[in-house]
Amino acid sequence: MHQTKNGRWGTQARSSTYLNEAVAIWLRDLRSEFRTRYALNAILMFAVTTLIAVSFSIGSFRIEEAERPFLFSVLLWIILTFSALSGLARSFVKEEEAGTIDVLKLSARPQAVFLGKLFFNLTLLGALELIIVPSFILLMSYQINSPGFFIAIIISGGLGLGAGTTIIAAMIARASTRGALFSALSLPLLLPLMITCIKGCERAAIGMNNADWPEVKVAVAYFIIMITMSLLLFPLIWEE
Amino acid sequence: MICKILLTIWMAVIIVASFLYAGAAAGFPGETSRILFFHVPQAWIATLAFLISMIASAVYLAKRRVKADYLAQSAAELGFLFCVLATITGSVFAKATWGAFWNWDPRQTSIVILLMIYGAYFAIRSAVSDPDRRRVFAGVYSILAFVTVPFLVFVVPRITTSLHPENTMNPASPGMDPKTLKVFLGSLFAYTGLFVWMLRLKIRVLRIEGLRNLGIEEL
Amino acid sequence: MAVAGWNGSGKSTLLRIIAGLVKPSAGQVEMFFNKEPIPRESRRGFVGMVAPALSLYDELTGLENMEFFCRVRGVACHRNNCLDIIDRVGLTEHATKMCRDYSSGLKQRLKLAQALLHKPPLLLLDEPGCNLDSQGIKVVEEIISNQRQLGMTVIASNEKREVGYAGKVVNLSE
Repeated sequence: MHQTKNGRWGTQARSSTYLNEAVAIWLRDLRSEFRTRYALNAILMFAVTTLIAVSFSIGSFRIEEAERPFLFSVLLWIILTFSALSGLARSFVKEEEAGTIDVLKLSARPQAVFLGKLFFNLTLLGALELIIVPSFILLMSYQINSPGFFIAIIISGGLGLGAGTTIIAAMIARASTRGALFSALSLPLLLPLMITCIKGCERAAIGMNNADWPEVKVAVAYFIIMITMSLLLFPLIWEE
Repeated sequence: MICKILLTIWMAVIIVASFLYAGAAAGFPGETSRILFFHVPQAWIATLAFLISMIASAVYLAKRRVKADYLAQSAAELGFLFCVLATITGSVFAKATWGAFWNWDPRQTSIVILLMIYGAYFAIRSAVSDPDRRRVFAGVYSILAFVTVPFLVFVVPRITTSLHPENTMNPASPGMDPKTLKVFLGSLFAYTGLFVWMLRLKIRVLRIEGLRNLGIEEL
Repeated sequence: MAVAGWNGSGKSTLLRIIAGLVKPSAGQVEMFFNKEPIPRESRRGFVGMVAPALSLYDELTGLENMEFFCRVRGVACHRNNCLDIIDRVGLTEHATKMCRDYSSGLKQRLKLAQALLHKPPLLLLDEPGCNLDSQGIKVVEEIISNQRQLGMTVIASNEKREVGYAGKVVNLSE
């Protein structure tokens, strides 16, 4: 306690921004994840298993060359989306199971909690994409003619995936049927993003000679809008 | 009471008129265009109901008035019903016109996505036991779902057009023939009336249930 | 002040409502500091809570937990501050061990430390002596007497000794 200028007692002033606090939460989640590796294992196991199944059953040559840009894009995004759905709820569910939700509610501001968890989910997604996308390209001999555009789609799609699912994860952590409910709730919200990204990857694989990247713009717009809405709505969920 | 009777008569008139009064629209095989008198209003009501539910949810989140949540829930349930009807009538039309029940053309895709959103809404309502929390979570979800709709409207036509160019025949406007237009607008009016009537009934039921629950607690 | 009552009378729930963790089904909580009302969103800066239902992060060490809560509360975070508080609750030798290896008494002490980090004017203690040995109980007594200068403490308990710390007692069973 200290005496402020007008002689009243004040508690220690909050000397940090939402961002600082969010980063603290993010780093703590990372540290816990590093020591236990629950979420990353779940996500990678799913992704690798599905990738192997796809590669084994379809292989590089079974699909005709004309169809490959599109179908491989579909398969890639199915793997990425469903792997994400298998593990992204972990950050909230783990807090709920360990009983640390209350102490987090007492210490942290809702927006900081949301941002911190979002950063964590984006980190997980980044790791997933970094491992799975090159593996997919290698295993399936996926020919990409516009690599820059492809990478942009993968990154913006990953951002969108994280943004669309984090608030849903917060909701289902308090509900009874977590796993199935998470997928059921997230998929309708993710559909526009998925469709856009599949299309974008297809075009990237075919190759484009113009610098027009509408799909990336749509994915980024989706990311921004979902984050804005989530930041507005998350405090309502957090405080229930 | 009077309104109910008038609505029933009006609906009956529309049903008869759609077969006898209006002619079958050109460009569609045989009599198939007649189903559009029913299919399009159903789809329209399904979408309108979603909008109403979302706005009522927003009001609940802002003011915490339980009646707003009753409206949100009722509109969602009815919207789901009309959405299922629209999907079924749409499939029948698709089969008669294009030979297959399902083609994933823009309209069909949109109605299925709406169906999924409704399904998810009910899933979250049934998964949360605490009533206040249920209302808040369902409200938040319906707002989020609504926010993705502009993306769907923008994205879906571009995707499905390029995938299936032959299926972009859009049966939304069944000709400018005055008789057809009259019956179509009449049907739209009838369905809206039906929706409003059922909505009010549903809200009344929810209100009575709510009062009964409170009564039990006070005992 | 102490809140006493039979098991299930609602002592813990009352404390949780005051802390803002649970919404009351009727009525509302108003807090004032220096006669000025505190808005609901800012309450967390004024309240520190210890309760059996609260848990801290098992995969972090005691010190890491403290540093995390410092940062998340926006309190100026120096290692020494954290170490001081850890010392005050008597956890210095265990500060760098994982919380999952703590006994329940050590965990209780860490919870007390966490509640003191931001020097809150209002301290909510739900069964503060639970799992503590005589040393730990002395720590609790020191904290409570210290808090009299800073602000106020509300203790929820069934134990006569803990209820005895309080100036005023409210019994929920009546």
